[in-house]
Amino acid sequence: MTRTVVVTSGKGGVGKTTTSASFASGLALRGHKTAVIDFDVGLRNLDLIMGCERRVVYDLVNVINGEANLHQALIKDKHCENLSVLAASQTRDKEALTKEGVEKVLGGLSELGFEYIVCDSPAGIETGAMMAMHFADEALVVTNPEVSSVRDSDRILGMLASKTKRAIEGGEPVKEHLLITRYSTQRVHQGEMLSLDDIQDILRIKLLGVIPESEAVLQSSNQGVPAVHMKGADVSEAYKDTVDRFLGEEKPLRFVNGYKPGFFKRLFGGN
Amino acid sequence: MTIAVQGVTPDTFEIKSATLPLVALVLKSADLGALARELEARFGDIPDFFDHDALVVDLSRVESEAQWGEHQAVDFPALLELLWKYRLAPVAVHGARNELAAVAKAAGLFPAPDARIGTAAAREANAEVVQKVVEPEAATGALVIDKPLRSGQQVYARGRDLVMLAMVNPGAEVIADGHIHVYAPLRGRAIAGARGNADARIFALGMEPELISIAGLYRTGETPQLAAIRGKPTQVRLVSDAEGNRLVFDPLK
Repeated sequence: MTRTVVVTSGKGGVGKTTTSASFASGLALRGHKTAVIDFDVGLRNLDLIMGCERRVVYDLVNVINGEANLHQALIKDKHCENLSVLAASQTRDKEALTKEGVEKVLGGLSELGFEYIVCDSPAGIETGAMMAMHFADEALVVTNPEVSSVRDSDRILGMLASKTKRAIEGGEPVKEHLLITRYSTQRVHQGEMLSLDDIQDILRIKLLGVIPESEAVLQSSNQGVPAVHMKGADVSEAYKDTVDRFLGEEKPLRFVNGYKPGFFKRLFGGN
Repeated sequence: MTIAVQGVTPDTFEIKSATLPLVALVLKSADLGALARELEARFGDIPDFFDHDALVVDLSRVESEAQWGEHQAVDFPALLELLWKYRLAPVAVHGARNELAAVAKAAGLFPAPDARIGTAAAREANAEVVQKVVEPEAATGALVIDKPLRSGQQVYARGRDLVMLAMVNPGAEVIADGHIHVYAPLRGRAIAGARGNADARIFALGMEPELISIAGLYRTGETPQLAAIRGKPTQVRLVSDAEGNRLVFDPLK
């Protein structure tokens, strides 16, 4: 039984690709055969984050157009044996994606015995994003603690509930999970960012995890190693917790109460 | 969201309801000789007054006179020729009953029916790009929505009240011809009395809208009165008195 999970947000730059890479890697580390697909045709990034950009021969659009088969296009991840990457095409645009084509690719992956298919959605609400979410069973809605990101996530949640295959066919709705990324306890404390409660108050879906803001993400992106592999980093632990919760485990939220005022602040008070 | 229906939408055409401007010629008499004279008097000096405007020949006056026994036959070929001369393009007739309609049809003018709001709106709803939760056919009682309305979504309770049991988020829009009740936070736009019912009211357990409107009179969320009751259970009504029309915000106790 294959589960298709879309990682989406509406807004760009919130951490969809970082999350797709780490989440898919996390599932694979837990022993699940996983594929991660970059739907950002024309602006492909996932291969860079996964460190496989020099091994891309065929891509998603090639498979959709029948120019290559899945075996040729799937790239084995170098860190996890259970993980395969399907890159986006950089030279095409989103119109190259068709519903039939995407369905064919997902069906093919299912036949190959993949347990999880993680779809990395492009930003926006146009073709690419719609194709990435259309066949989803579950959705990770990635949100930053700021108002525009929350507003865009709200829009995406509305679309998940109305435009996806499950919604159109009237089946069980897409299971929605909220993932808050780039969360800085200090900035929330200072009132510069929305708190978890503020976000939950608007979106009102189940919180799957909170990923702290961290320098490690930038480093890992530049090195082409998903953040989940950064040993000892908060981000890595937070992504692992997120995957565990996704797989049904109960885990307390970490890295959300870490703010410790400095010595002088404690001594003299202040805001 | 055109993409959701891309699989079924043909590339070469799209059928939509359209409301287009047309010129109507209300014919008061079937006497084409008199018509020609009066047209000449009115537009004779300015032969290019019309620019091949599509025209509907409104026959309802001729028909109502016919009811009183003076049935007049309309010579459609001659009428068409006359109208073409003035650079008008007759395309249809309106208000014609059986015999007259048949004669008009024979001359190539098809009957244009009255606009029926219900059907036109139903077609419009299908063509709408934003998601609309379409209410059931029978417009009795209130339309009840129990799912949250998210940014970009819209609900219209046509001809009746709207009851929202879940929140209306920023960027969402609730519209009703009657009252709007929101038993949750109202954070989007709320438009009550959309077809001019000034008695419509808006009730919300958490009143913090982006915009609120009753019978066309609106206030944005930055209005000082709204700031004062922000997030509280509130009703909004339209008051018309010596001071003019205004929206009044009363806390619900």
